[in-house]
Amino acid sequence: MSTAPATLLEASDIGITFGGLKAVQGLSLRVPTGALHGLIGPNGAGKTTAFNLLTGVYQTQTGSVTLAGTTLSGKRPHEIALAGLSRTFQNIRLFGELSVLDNVMLGSHLRGTHRLIRTVFRTPAFVRQEEAMRERALELLGIFGLQGLAAEQAKSLPYGDQRRLEICRALATEPKVLLLDEPAAGMNPSEKKSLASTIRSIRERFGVAILLIEHDMGLVMDICEHITVLDHGQVISAGTPRFVQDDPKVIEAYLGVVEEEGTGNGERGTGKASLGKASAG
Amino acid sequence: MKTLAQHTKDVPASRAFRPAVVFLPWVACVAVAFAVQLVAPALFDDYWVNVLRRVGVFVIAAVSLNIVNGITGQFSMGHAGFMAIGSYIGASTTYTGSLLLHGSVGDDSFAVQGTMLMLGGLVAGACAAAGAGYLVGLPSLRLRGDYLAIVTLGFGEIIRVLLELTSKQVDTADGARANPFAAFFSFNGPTGFFGTPAYASNFWIWLFVAITCVVAYRLKRSSSGRAFLSIREDEIAARAMGIDLTKYKVRAFVLAAAFGGVAGALFSHTGVNPSPTDAGFQRSFDIIIMVVLGGLGSISGSVLAAILLVLLPEMLRGLQEYRLVLYAVLLIVMMLVRPQGLFGVKEVWDLWGAKRKARGGTP
Repeated sequence: MSTAPATLLEASDIGITFGGLKAVQGLSLRVPTGALHGLIGPNGAGKTTAFNLLTGVYQTQTGSVTLAGTTLSGKRPHEIALAGLSRTFQNIRLFGELSVLDNVMLGSHLRGTHRLIRTVFRTPAFVRQEEAMRERALELLGIFGLQGLAAEQAKSLPYGDQRRLEICRALATEPKVLLLDEPAAGMNPSEKKSLASTIRSIRERFGVAILLIEHDMGLVMDICEHITVLDHGQVISAGTPRFVQDDPKVIEAYLGVVEEEGTGNGERGTGKASLGKASAG
Repeated sequence: MKTLAQHTKDVPASRAFRPAVVFLPWVACVAVAFAVQLVAPALFDDYWVNVLRRVGVFVIAAVSLNIVNGITGQFSMGHAGFMAIGSYIGASTTYTGSLLLHGSVGDDSFAVQGTMLMLGGLVAGACAAAGAGYLVGLPSLRLRGDYLAIVTLGFGEIIRVLLELTSKQVDTADGARANPFAAFFSFNGPTGFFGTPAYASNFWIWLFVAITCVVAYRLKRSSSGRAFLSIREDEIAARAMGIDLTKYKVRAFVLAAAFGGVAGALFSHTGVNPSPTDAGFQRSFDIIIMVVLGGLGSISGSVLAAILLVLLPEMLRGLQEYRLVLYAVLLIVMMLVRPQGLFGVKEVWDLWGAKRKARGGTP
């Protein structure tokens, strides 16, 4: 085996079927330490399902996932988070009624110990940990420029801040790999630009590898070193942004078949048909 | 960035231990208990002093139910079941204990030992209820919303039926000595368990009211409390943040049941005879209404709502028959005017703080 020792997150041949629908099939990807890896594909390609498989929301029916040598498949979501895989959600899932600070403090929950006796009697060990959680949360909020909003209710934050808060909360879990599910969704061009630099600085500052689902091609091509393209639950291409961009299969998946003279969503069916031919050949 | 473990180590000792914050609430608990015990008889007649005991019991019940219904967001409708378990176990500990140790029940010369028995009964009742809470908590992991409500409702009814099936109460020392175990669990069937001495004075009741409130509030304002709240807010996100749903849901049920058991055990020592109907859904609804009225997640809200809803029917004694109509109207008005309950998830003093902040004062 000539795999680089630096491989951090590895999925080999994972898949799941919902009824007759093969949502994800034979997906393999390797995220090395410190990598910025993109996962793209047209709507319904199975990207978020892939995230759900990696984080244990769905159980993999085939294949396996390992993180830094430990097997993740078969574990429950909270155990996977503890192993060092943290994520954000496509449709933001903050703890809306709780304060911004509480949201981030909850992120570091899994790194602490929580005994009821200590809690009830407010022992020094308990107070120490609470203080540490608060300090860490404030530090993280500071990095994302949210410190001033610490006492606000999470649901009252503007959209962009909610997205950043979610990343902030995910980082509080001390992850090895951060999964970002469409972090740029709903952002305007200038917000997207600042997001790109934020994502780069997260990687440097926290030393995490990042796996990114994103629809904004400009952003993905700009920041990712390696891209995996999914369509109909299968990997149709993988490589550097340059390579993926020029791969005819990717162009087909996104735009339909060139000979058909039609582009756009209406031609998705034929695109799939010729994709099948291409992968068979 | 430092890890949480490193960070925890680096917190200076001066901030880790503040005696005033740690111990004052417990001192306050004892102070509250003494205050109610000593001041109440000076202000009210015997009837209202007795009502105050009932108020205290329901404050404990409402605050404990708030842990599971309000803070953790798991809608339990079987709280009266846990209370009834505590009630019977507590009453029987004192009653059968007195028979075995003293030969008779409610003797003045045995009052001190009897009170000790009652405290033992509180612990036993809490433990028994907590055990039942564990059993109910486990299926709750697979159930959500209405389905969980139905299971917990069923639990209360099961307890009621089981209590109705118990055999006749043993009322002689010889009978109790012949088979102490059987005597302990002879709860006298549908007629209810008679003759438990009223050892639970306002002192004991309000001591446990204060303790319950301190424990519940400290729980809410802690990492465990945040975990409970996160389950209420979004289970999927909570799991993704590494929170073990199984562990925390069961914890919430066990804690709520334990304090519910304490409330029940105290109740059966106020001169009220526990009967199987106490475990039924009527009582559960009464407590749920208190929690909803006070605000799901608000400890002080539950306290105030419990006080209000026990006192209100007493004040409107003439309207006793219409109590439930009144409850319904109150709840409908609540849903229209303040759907989050009186205080939402906040505490009374939070609103006070917000008002001050809004006026531009120092927080």
